[in-house]
Amino acid sequence: MADFRLQRLPSTTPAAALGARILAIALALVIAGVILAFVGKNPLALGLQVVTSSLGSSFGLEDLGLLVIPLILTGLSVTVAQQIGAWNIGAEGQFYAGAFAASAVGLFAPLSGGWSLVGMGVAGAFGGLVWILIPALARAYANVNELITTLLLNFVAILLVYYVSTDAWRERGGVANSATPRIKAEIPEFWGLVHWGLPIAVLLALAMAGLLAFTRWGYEVRLIGSNPAAGKYLGIAARRHLITVMLISGAIAGLAGMLEIAGTVHRLQGGISNNYGYLGIMVAVLARGSSIGVIFAAALMAFILNSGIILQTQGLTTSTVLAITGLILFLTAIGDELSHYRVVRDKS
Amino acid sequence: MDLLTGLLTTAFLAGGVLALAAMGEVLAERVGVVNLGAEGLIAMGAITAVATVSAYPSPLVGFLAALCVGALFGALFALATVTIRANQVLCGLALTLIGTGLAQTIGKSYSGMPVAATFQGVEMPLLSKLPVIGPAFFSQNILVYLIYIILPFGLSYLMFRTRHGMNMRAVGENPAAADAAGIPVTLFRFGYVCAGAALAAGAGAYLVLAFVPAWSDGVVAGRGWIAVALVIFAGYRPIPAALSGLLFGFITALGFVGQARGWPIAPAFLSMLPYAGTIAFIIVPVIAWQRMRRLMAAPAALGQPYFRSVR
Repeated sequence: MADFRLQRLPSTTPAAALGARILAIALALVIAGVILAFVGKNPLALGLQVVTSSLGSSFGLEDLGLLVIPLILTGLSVTVAQQIGAWNIGAEGQFYAGAFAASAVGLFAPLSGGWSLVGMGVAGAFGGLVWILIPALARAYANVNELITTLLLNFVAILLVYYVSTDAWRERGGVANSATPRIKAEIPEFWGLVHWGLPIAVLLALAMAGLLAFTRWGYEVRLIGSNPAAGKYLGIAARRHLITVMLISGAIAGLAGMLEIAGTVHRLQGGISNNYGYLGIMVAVLARGSSIGVIFAAALMAFILNSGIILQTQGLTTSTVLAITGLILFLTAIGDELSHYRVVRDKS
Repeated sequence: MDLLTGLLTTAFLAGGVLALAAMGEVLAERVGVVNLGAEGLIAMGAITAVATVSAYPSPLVGFLAALCVGALFGALFALATVTIRANQVLCGLALTLIGTGLAQTIGKSYSGMPVAATFQGVEMPLLSKLPVIGPAFFSQNILVYLIYIILPFGLSYLMFRTRHGMNMRAVGENPAAADAAGIPVTLFRFGYVCAGAALAAGAGAYLVLAFVPAWSDGVVAGRGWIAVALVIFAGYRPIPAALSGLLFGFITALGFVGQARGWPIAPAFLSMLPYAGTIAFIIVPVIAWQRMRRLMAAPAALGQPYFRSVR
């Protein structure tokens, strides 16, 4: 009689990994639906409402287009750092830092029109870069876990933006007293509400994919990420690459903050990020290290985030979306591990 | 109350959350499992405590309920990371998102209301008459004795003075050797991950039942992450973990005093102190105390799943 047993493979196939992700999302939505049904809501009706209002009208699609811009960039930020084996959990803080720096230029720099936008873009990227500088140096020179340092700086950035938007840069005589005056320089729209930040984000993802896949630099980065010891023997300047890649990662997240300010919100305020930094981690995990995959994963996360915003009228909150996102992440991690196994038959 | 007494009183009170969560994290990390879900566990513990005492006004029952919910979430996390051996970083982040999101969703109906029953200060006979330390420590709620005396010394004894503790540390250092010696690796990991998660949730209950007696969305405010960082700073030991919790309680207290006395610094900058301080405290020791490195080292198998045989 033949015996069946499980065999663990050292790596998993892309098809199995994709299948694990689809299953994880489906299962998470089913669990969320069951819980919703349990508290007396009709999950199918809610689902139908979400689909019709986000995909069934141009308004809904434009909202998705706006949400997808920061998600592509924060997802790309996390993915880029992952290539060299670093966890950037601080995209949220770098987003705030980028928004802060871009607003400073937009509000106070004596630039006009297009030059102001360029200045804001440079400042935004630079703000994100500065925000990851200490974690990058600490990881490179003292081997301090970048996971914790990048995350803790999120709170500092959020407090900084809270301070300037409610105190130092607050719009005097404004209605809510919790935002800066409107920033004059705006990124023009090309489709309804959606501004040119979307093509910029997509192009940046494609450019990163190209850099990582086809250049010597990209090859060395991926090599260090998958096997640090091998990189050392090949004489690759691992430390310099690590710092560069982490700074790029921070700059991308900072640029996301700038685009949000200049394209969507037009003034700096607390809570400017809808957890984009944290959702970016989710985007990166779903994309599984592929910069092009980030675009599709970001579209999916934008749909899930938008669902939460639509369902706010039904008494749900963005916190519920955060919980469901966590559930998807949890099930994806489990699915990733399980997809390493295959059933083999012992011939005896 | 003079300045020092006031500072220390707040430090003991505020540090309790961090000390309890950090000791929980020590338990999990000593058996080789990084639990980055501490932030979510604290949130779940806090909302469990708030919901429980609003139905049954006893802080002790609220605290115990939070411990149970923490252990339950810990069991889910252990099922994923220890039994199935999924990636610990991803599962930990997921647990943070689930816990924070779920707690905020449940918390909507409790937001802004004072907690129905809280732990009250109890003056210890004689000891509370001591100068400074009397009012600052011996007049606090009963949980401070658990957090600063019973748990740190008890856990330290368990980990470094008993055979069970040696087995526990062996599981975190070299699970294959521990397995060969007949120590049930999976059972140890599962058990201590659950226990650690229960303590983290207990920290959340302490937060709302003894320190900030109200639920709000941002009430946890990154304390779980600070606790995870403190474990590194404390060299994975329970007594230093409790002490570093106290140290950060002191830093928080400085911020409060600064606000109360109208120091010419915006409150937002004083609120940054614990986060910036944590970053400094995990970077500076690595550079300054090269010689301490062996003593402060992480368990060798930290973060690595254990496969008895990979075939």
